[in-house]
Order: sequence, then structure tokens, then C-alpha cells
Amino acid sequence: MHNVAACDATQAMDLSAYSPVIIMRDVSVRFSAGAAEPMLAVDGVSFSVRAGEFLSLVGPSGCGKTTVLNVLTGLLAQGVEGCTEILGQPPRPGNPDVAYMLARDSLLPWRTAVGNASYGMEIRGVPAKEREGIARDLLRRVGLAGFEDAYPKALSHGMRQRCALARTFALGSPVFLMDEPFGALDAQTKLLLEEVLLDLWSSARRTVVFVTHDLAEAVALSDRVIVMSARPGRIVADVPISLPRPRWVRALQKSPQFHEVYSQLWGLLELGMSFS
Amino acid sequence: MRGKLTELLAHVAAIAVVLAAWEYAAESALLDPTFFGRPSGIARYLWNGFFVSGKLWLELGFTLTGAGISFLLGSACAIIVGLLFAAFPRIHHAAEPYLTLLNAMPRIALAPLFLLWFGLGVGSKIAVGTSLTFFIVLSATMAGIRGVSSDHLTLSRALGATPIQTFSNVTLPSAVPVIFSGLRLGLIYAMLGVIGGELIAAEHGLGQTLAYLQSTFNMDGVMGLLLVLALLGLSVTAAMNRMERSLLAWQ
Repeated sequence: MHNVAACDATQAMDLSAYSPVIIMRDVSVRFSAGAAEPMLAVDGVSFSVRAGEFLSLVGPSGCGKTTVLNVLTGLLAQGVEGCTEILGQPPRPGNPDVAYMLARDSLLPWRTAVGNASYGMEIRGVPAKEREGIARDLLRRVGLAGFEDAYPKALSHGMRQRCALARTFALGSPVFLMDEPFGALDAQTKLLLEEVLLDLWSSARRTVVFVTHDLAEAVALSDRVIVMSARPGRIVADVPISLPRPRWVRALQKSPQFHEVYSQLWGLLELGMSFS
Repeated sequence: MRGKLTELLAHVAAIAVVLAAWEYAAESALLDPTFFGRPSGIARYLWNGFFVSGKLWLELGFTLTGAGISFLLGSACAIIVGLLFAAFPRIHHAAEPYLTLLNAMPRIALAPLFLLWFGLGVGSKIAVGTSLTFFIVLSATMAGIRGVSSDHLTLSRALGATPIQTFSNVTLPSAVPVIFSGLRLGLIYAMLGVIGGELIAAEHGLGQTLAYLQSTFNMDGVMGLLLVLALLGLSVTAAMNRMERSLLAWQ
């Protein structure tokens, strides 16, 4: 199935003090295209994520951050070396402990907002009566009250991504893997959705790995930011973000503290870009 | 509402002018009624056929039955085969060249063969109609299934959907609109096949009647039947559109 070895038990023990939910140790990924020499996309990436921690992976485009996330989802298994564990299990698609969110909303156009918010629960066997209640409640909390029965064609980009957020949170999985979920939105809508995400996250702490190319987004949301270099993707910095919570993303935009952290990380990102 | 009424009146007036001009031209021998018929003759033929002798109802019944059976049989087979191909790509791969060959053949040219195999009755007409409908709906089904969004598949896979869940929740609903447009074409082709078969040789049906009228130089009858066929096609398409709208409200 996949060749991701389980992490060594004794080494995993060392990290037990942090109660890591996600462990990646020495993970490398090679893509082979035909007969050509396999291309090294990710090179020796190691990190762990504590329970309830919000971790962002940032880096220049093509640095392999999405590849790292795909290894965690289990969608990518070929050409992966090293060990990866989520709650002590090797990654596999369909793990009920994991909720995955893509850049594109990928709403099903033939389902209403409620139907879409329920889709994940439906696949995972939540009874119909429960689904409906959870979906309606979450749609209200993401700001889609009144649009529960609208089809995606009637929703704006931002509203569609709100609905996708509701679908993700409806799963109740302890681990969230998010691949640039707000990457396709305009700057203002993005800030609003970041606030919705933080609001939902703070009321039910999940362990989040959030991939983005937007440094400001990473700083505003995260407890910790990992900066990756250009291909082959390596970790160049692993920086805790000490901005106090609860955070208000729009207010942060004007905070000098925020800009200080931002410029520090920007320097590291530039360093990473020059690596190739 | 008022604009619609005016538009309707304009249409009625335009049609009336054309019919009057046609009638006048036939009367004054500008347009030979032997070749073109005349509106009053067409009206008389249709009135007699439907309401005096009632014979046209029977013929219409034969044609509609043939087309209906062809459509149901052809599209049901096509959807089943299409889904089978989607589930087992290797079967699809193996069968594709033969299907392409069969599809490339002008099916109406097979009508004489079908007549020999299935007789002069409705059976041979159904064979022609079914063979036309089948390929149209099959290619639409395949196109619909191929057109499924890869994002939706990735999402379902990450959620842990079984192949059956993915098929019923993602693949099938996304293919339905494309299959539907194939079905609409399929219905037209079923009628085409049946009427084409009837024109070549038959005991009953509008096509057979048309061929008979044409060979006896009854142009009023020919024109009348062409009108009936056109209206038939129109109402069939309208019915399909209506069904599509209510079934696919999300589009």
C-alpha cells in the first residue's frame, strides 16, 4: 500500500513530553516521471505537532509543502521515504481522525449548502438526523445563515469556501490538514475567513497543519510556522509565534508586534528562496 | 405579459399571411399544387385523417410505439454498458475499436438487413431506432463519467468513501446532465430510425404513410404529415427540457 515505515518506538518516546499528534521523521519524497532520474521534491523533513497546535508550512511555490501535506493525508505514498505517524498510525486516506480541506472548495454542485456541509459526515456514517443538525449549526457559525438550502451556483467564492469550512469542521476529526484553503480568495474575503477559522478552531481545538504561501496568513493564524526552502524542500526554520490569543486577524494587520514577527519570518523565507 | 401577447399575435399574423399567399399562389397556378399542395388541402387531409376516418391515429400510434420502445431499449442498454465500461476500463479498452467501427457505419443503411431479419412489422423499425439511440447515449454516458471533477474524487477519497459511495455521490450525479443531453438526442434519433425504417418498407406508421402519399402524388398529405412530424419532434424536445429542468434544478 504505502512504504511509509512506522516511526521507531523508542524515538517516538522522546517526544512524548510534547504529546505529539503528528510525527514526521526524515521524510523524503522523490517523483519519478518515466525513465528520467527521479526528482527529489522533499528532502529529510522532520517535525512534530502537539495536540491542539496550529502549525503552518510556508515556502516558495514548488517547495514541496503541499507534497508534505499529501504524505500526511496518505494520498501520496509512492516515492515516500522516512516515517510518518498521525496519532500513532501510518497515514491513510479516509482516516476518520483526519479532516482534509483543499484550496478549491470542491462543493458538489447538485447538493445544497446543507447537503455539502453534511457530505463528509454522510461518507463517515453519521446518522441522517444528527447530520442535518450539525450541518445547520455550523453553517450558521460560518455566516451562511439563510443560505442553507442554496445551491453552490448561487454562492460567491467566499461563501463557497465558508461552506467547505463547515463541511471540514462537521467531521469532528481531531486532526485538520488544510492545503491553502483560502489561496483563491481576494485579500478582504481571506481575512474574514481566517477569522471564521480561528473562531471555530478556538472553540474546539484541533491539531492543524496549514499549508500556505501567504506569510501574513501563517503568522496571524499559527502557534508555529515552519519555513521551507525552494526545491528540494527542506526545513530552514521552525519558529514559534508568540502573539497572544485570542487574535483578531483584522486588528492584527495594524499591530506592530505582528509586523515584527512577519519581517523576521520574511527574512528566513528569502533565505529559503536563495537555497536552490 | 402584454409584450408576450403582442409577440404571439405577430406570429399568428405572419403565419396567416404566408398561408394565404400559398393558397392564392396554388389557386392562380403560380405554384403547382401537384408538387407543393395547398394549405386548404393539407387542413382537409389532416382533418379527415385524424377526425373523420381516424386512420392517422393508428399510424401515429405505430410510429410512437416503435420510437418509444427503441428509445427505452437503446438508452437503457447504453447506460448499462457505459457504466460497465466505467467500472471496468479494460473491457472498454478492448471493445472500443469495434464500437467505433459499428458507430461509423451509417445505421440507416442497415435497415434493409434488419427488414430481412425482423420482418416488415414494428420489429425491424425498433432495431434501426435502437441501434441509432444506443451509440448516441453511450458516448454521452462515457463523456459524462469521464468529465467528473478530480477535486471531487480527491475529496471523497480523503474522506474514505468506498468506490460505491464515490460512484453514487460524485460520479453519477456529475454525469447526469451530460447523459441527459444524450437522451434528448437519443429520442430524436429513435424517431429518425423508426420513420426511416418505415419509409423503406413497412405495413404501418407515419413513414409508411408518407411514402405511400408521395408515390401517389398526394402532396397535401405529404405536407400535412411533415407538419405532424415537426410538431411531434417539438413536443418531445419540450417534454425532455421540462423534465431536465425539474430534475436538475441545481444547474
